[in-house]
Amino acid sequence: MENFETLLKGSAEAHGHLCPGQVVGVRMARLGCELIGLDNPRAPDQIKKIVVYVEIDRCAADAIGYVTGVRLGRRSLKFVDNGIMAATFVNLESGHAYRVVSTEEARDLASLYAPEIQGNARQQLEAYQRMPDSVLFRVQRVEVPMSEFDLPGPTRRKVSCTRCGQVVRDHREVVIDGAVLCRPCADGAYFKHAQEMTWPDMNWTPGRAEALAPAVRKIRETDNFRTAESVVPG
Amino acid sequence: MMKKMGLQEAVGTKLGHDITEIRPGEFKGPAFRKGHTVCHEDLCHLQRLGKNHLYAIDLENDEIHENGAVAILAKALAGKGITWKDEPREGKIKFFAGIDGVLGVNTAALAAFNMVEEVMCATLHNHTLVKTGEQVAATRAIPLVMKRTPIERAAAIARQGGSVLEIKALRNAKAGLVITGNEVYHGLIEDRFAPVLKGKMQALGSEVMALDFAPDDAKAIARVIRSHLDRGCDLLLLSGGMSVDPDDVTRHGIRLAGASEFHYGAAALPGAMFLVAYLGDVPLLGVPACGLYHRITVLDILLPRILAGERIGKKELAFLGHGGLCRDCSECTFPSCSFGKGG
Repeated sequence: MENFETLLKGSAEAHGHLCPGQVVGVRMARLGCELIGLDNPRAPDQIKKIVVYVEIDRCAADAIGYVTGVRLGRRSLKFVDNGIMAATFVNLESGHAYRVVSTEEARDLASLYAPEIQGNARQQLEAYQRMPDSVLFRVQRVEVPMSEFDLPGPTRRKVSCTRCGQVVRDHREVVIDGAVLCRPCADGAYFKHAQEMTWPDMNWTPGRAEALAPAVRKIRETDNFRTAESVVPG
Repeated sequence: MMKKMGLQEAVGTKLGHDITEIRPGEFKGPAFRKGHTVCHEDLCHLQRLGKNHLYAIDLENDEIHENGAVAILAKALAGKGITWKDEPREGKIKFFAGIDGVLGVNTAALAAFNMVEEVMCATLHNHTLVKTGEQVAATRAIPLVMKRTPIERAAAIARQGGSVLEIKALRNAKAGLVITGNEVYHGLIEDRFAPVLKGKMQALGSEVMALDFAPDDAKAIARVIRSHLDRGCDLLLLSGGMSVDPDDVTRHGIRLAGASEFHYGAAALPGAMFLVAYLGDVPLLGVPACGLYHRITVLDILLPRILAGERIGKKELAFLGHGGLCRDCSECTFPSCSFGKGG
């Protein structure tokens, strides 16, 4: 694995800025990889051995992805929306797994570890590099039950929702009273009022002009659906 | 695991912890020690102490008793020059200075340690000058029985950078004094600085091996500095000429002598115009005239630290600010006061 400074620099570039979360994320990932015995998780011989469950969708999550090489699309990055600054590192080969939790007290201790630095973010940025792992993290040895349907690799199962027809992969379907349903049909979805739409020249393919087709532009300009921007408060 | 039992039920069992007795203004200590077998004669005494129940302790594999825990903590907290005995009393272990010197406390590690709920450690202030045998700190585990993990984590936190507590011995410096000022140099007034500075050095176990006077002339001051260094002085104290008047040229003399590091101004009163410079590894301390009037100044805060090997820079001088104001008490109790303890 590259040294900490190189990883932090790379992580900050990939994320878009250097922040305390990058420091915590890079350190969390380094520690996690060390615990599961992977010294270079991005290397071809190790990349298929690691899965990371990330419990927060904040800056540190990107740093963890950068250092470990785990990706949502590879199924090696699992996002569990707990709102907890924690990640669990699993070695698929050995089965060993460790959950690393960022301590809340680290924030309170920043002024003691970097007393000469002014400003919360800058002070945390420096302090989190000075604190030992014992102050910055709590570590748990854990067991992570993973079914074959959670593993990286090809799709292992496909079924169709009996209500909407959508194909559901890897056993994410729900069976209610014997009927196979996709989760949106069974449990409701994060979206609402879904209305299927098409337009006359819905025929763009790579290689054609990149500009939006006139019909799409017209839809965008005249659509009276609430857009993403319009629901942002203030 | 702890099981609560009535006093009668406890007769014949061994106490799992010390039981403290406090008689206001008279006594505070263990009335019964851990391991004591409870007998009928004890029951009235225990009831007078407000104890109608006792704990039967049955430790799980991942649990630890307060006495075992505090020993783990003490081992991790104590560094060089600290003595302690693995004989907890009422769950507490005390730390003592094993040598004369300056107490070093890793305050960040101490705070991080105390953030672990199951443990505590309280110390004298960082940089306190202590004598052999003085108590400098104490630690204890808070619960009677707890999981091992937080204790081991607290111990790991305490071991960052070696330990939380240490005593740094003072070196025996060969000091050189440079007393500046035309008024003294030309004999208009008698110098009263040299005896004060000599006394302070000797009180800390160092000797003054050279004393010279210099006029308010930067080049002359620089010459005296060089001459002291040539004679083997490894710490220089320069008095006077530290203020802002045109005749105050001691700072320039120090620069002319080739000081490689130079910090003028300390966040302490008295002592704002204090100067710390280094010529190689030799500290040059510019003592402002307040050192003549006030018994205790910033010099008394920093001299022990310098003799204990600390290199004083801008940060150390600035951090003196919190607690850097002398209360100017009619009866001075330094060092048993707040002066210089916050930095």
